[in-house]
Amino acid sequence: MSRIATPSAGGPTAWHDLDPLTRLVVSVGTLVAAVLLTGVVCLLLLTLVAVLLPAALARQLRRVLVTGLLLALPLALSVIIVNVLFSIEGTVVASLGPLEITEEGIALAAEVVARVLTMAGAAVLFYVTTRPSELVASLQHHGVSARLTFVIHNGVAMIPRLAERAHEVTAAQRARGLDTEGNWLRRGRGVVAVAAPTVLSAVRETEMRTLALETRGFTRPGRPTVLRVPHDSSTQRVARWGVALALVLLTLARATGALPC
Amino acid sequence: MTELRLEGVTYEYPAGVRALDGVDLVIPAGGSLALIGANGSGKTTLARHLDGLLRPTHGRVLIDGEDAATFSVARLAAKVGICFQQPDRQIFQRVVRGEVEFGARRLGASEEEAFARAKEALEAVGLADDLGRHPDDLGETRRKLLTIASVLAMRTSVVVLDEPTTGLDAHGAGRIGGIIRALHEEGRSVVGISHDIRFVAETFDRVVLLDRGRVVLDGTPAEVFAERAWPRLRASGLEPPHAAITGARLGLGSTPTEADVVAALLDREASAVR
Amino acid sequence: MLKLQGVSYRYPGGAHETLHAVTLELAEGTITGLAGAAEAGKSTLCLVAGGLAPRVIGGTIVGDITLDGTDVTSWPMHHLAEHVVTSLQEPAGQLSLIADTVFDEVAFGPANLGLPPEEVVARSDEALHLVGIEDLRERDPERLSGGQQQLVVMAGLLAMRPRHLILDEPVAHLDAAGSRLVLEAITAIATAGTAVLMAEQRSEALATVCDSVAVVAGGNIVARGSPREVLAHPATIAFGIEELPEERLRRRLSKAGLDPDVVAAAT
Repeated sequence: MSRIATPSAGGPTAWHDLDPLTRLVVSVGTLVAAVLLTGVVCLLLLTLVAVLLPAALARQLRRVLVTGLLLALPLALSVIIVNVLFSIEGTVVASLGPLEITEEGIALAAEVVARVLTMAGAAVLFYVTTRPSELVASLQHHGVSARLTFVIHNGVAMIPRLAERAHEVTAAQRARGLDTEGNWLRRGRGVVAVAAPTVLSAVRETEMRTLALETRGFTRPGRPTVLRVPHDSSTQRVARWGVALALVLLTLARATGALPC
Repeated sequence: MTELRLEGVTYEYPAGVRALDGVDLVIPAGGSLALIGANGSGKTTLARHLDGLLRPTHGRVLIDGEDAATFSVARLAAKVGICFQQPDRQIFQRVVRGEVEFGARRLGASEEEAFARAKEALEAVGLADDLGRHPDDLGETRRKLLTIASVLAMRTSVVVLDEPTTGLDAHGAGRIGGIIRALHEEGRSVVGISHDIRFVAETFDRVVLLDRGRVVLDGTPAEVFAERAWPRLRASGLEPPHAAITGARLGLGSTPTEADVVAALLDREASAVR
Repeated sequence: MLKLQGVSYRYPGGAHETLHAVTLELAEGTITGLAGAAEAGKSTLCLVAGGLAPRVIGGTIVGDITLDGTDVTSWPMHHLAEHVVTSLQEPAGQLSLIADTVFDEVAFGPANLGLPPEEVVARSDEALHLVGIEDLRERDPERLSGGQQQLVVMAGLLAMRPRHLILDEPVAHLDAAGSRLVLEAITAIATAGTAVLMAEQRSEALATVCDSVAVVAGGNIVARGSPREVLAHPATIAFGIEELPEERLRRRLSKAGLDPDVVAAAT
């Protein structure tokens, strides 16, 4: 049976060698910064430095670009449609029947698209270069509680499993005559028939997994033994705090209006 | 009623692994056939070719003489109903009635017709009293019977059951055997995938053994479970039915079921008397 | 020795008790089987004996559960897990998903116990060896067959060196080859000293490995004895338990007026 690929780690590069926590902080930091910054230029700069550069370092540039675009495109398109065609008053640049396209609308749309692309890129970068197992090991090494670790990890690890499960469920429902090859209206009706068992059986499986983990001492207080210790360093520690500090400063600058971007 | 024919069907995964390798198989109208084989032998893959969920990489699947490739799965499902192994990957309605009617409605049955079929199907699997219940309130066993009822209500001329007795207790398994025999008597074709060899020997007229995507044995239970076939069975990771082993030890010829052992012993006694 | 005495259990929000005054003893080095129709209470009994009910699942429990005489009903789950571990029905649903290799999966349990790394590695190696899956060490657990996954799950539980192992339908969904592997592993585990409780639908599996079998019906234990005694008893068919092939044949021979012992002569 075909399987949706789990995030591969790719080759041993400088990026891959970093403590997963560091990689997580960079990606999450980029996500937050993308929300705080405005203006296409600043956002593209952020993408270049915080997404594309590390992606190139990790030799995953193409993958991050393509997957990031695919992920962001539907959202970006809907944003463009809404903002460009339906919104802002201002200098009209062109008109499409009763709808007016303004300069300001275009600028806003461009900014939102850039933001969505940056966030998608940051998320994909982390996902394709980090295996769930090493993330968990790192979190446990740094003392994050077992339950929180499990929640984070389960979310990530469930993605390919959910996809595979949805595929199975779709096959079972098609065998009962559900038409997935017809027009979009027909396909829309089939969504519940696929979504409900997918989600419900995934929830059931998570419940069972919780029992299985408990019987293996997962909720024991105190730190578990980590066999594969992440490659942390003082430089990375400083960098992580640096990112946190930068975000705080960015928030302050945004709040006080001092941010040029 | 419908005839299914696989001609040289090969199915390759993208990685190049062949799940099916040149399978030639005819399932005549009204046939009753069991697919056996170890995990990974291609049983489920083969079943999914019967309603177009999978399309052959080479070769073709003919349904009443026409190439299945020309039909969508939804159209093929009107003739070939497949009940998958995992009830949880299928059940989504909040009422048993709705779940059983689902397939029938998808195939175009009216509300009244679907309801009538649902009642009949639930009766057949022993869940007649559960019509208005929430599927979650049924235990695992009854959820399994529910999925089988759902495919029965589709009234397709070919019914494919993937591991219908797994997880069922003796009562449940006996019920399924009865349903399969009843379908066969109605003239429908039944294809069963099962690793319960005893169930297979007792319920089906024909047994096909798959090994790494190839058909290696195809015949009646008496033929497939005869002593000369045991090395082939064992090489594929299976054991012959206990009745066959007992019969062979007693020198009774091929006795795939207990009934066969009894019959053979009675015969022997009768001829001894003569 | 794990002992349940007069244990009754009700699921959270349950209208009635699922288990009634169950008494059961698991002695080290023995394999006790649980037979019974679907929904008779076998799985519930497994959850209760393993402590997952009521600790993780909730519900109310009455009665005594002791470990070598010490009452364990108030022990937290992670403490009990060092002595009693449970394997649930589907192996794939029990994988941690945190491990890239079978070795890491098996090491998960002892790692959770906070043991020194050398100890974790040693126990994991030992468990892999006991269950006979050393050759699967570097494989991705999610890509294994059902039978192999079941073995991985069992190894993972054994690496915790529990003295009691509870298995809920370990071979129900496996093919003949997978079943054989798992049953052999169970026998090896018991020989090494672990007490095993095994709930199974398939009577042949119970007959193959169990030292004794208890029949569960309607939440009660209604019969107890050696596998042959219990599984061959005419009353057990009434309880919805699968007949052993030999017994079924004997019954049919008698019914046909033939000598049932003809079968024994042939074996």
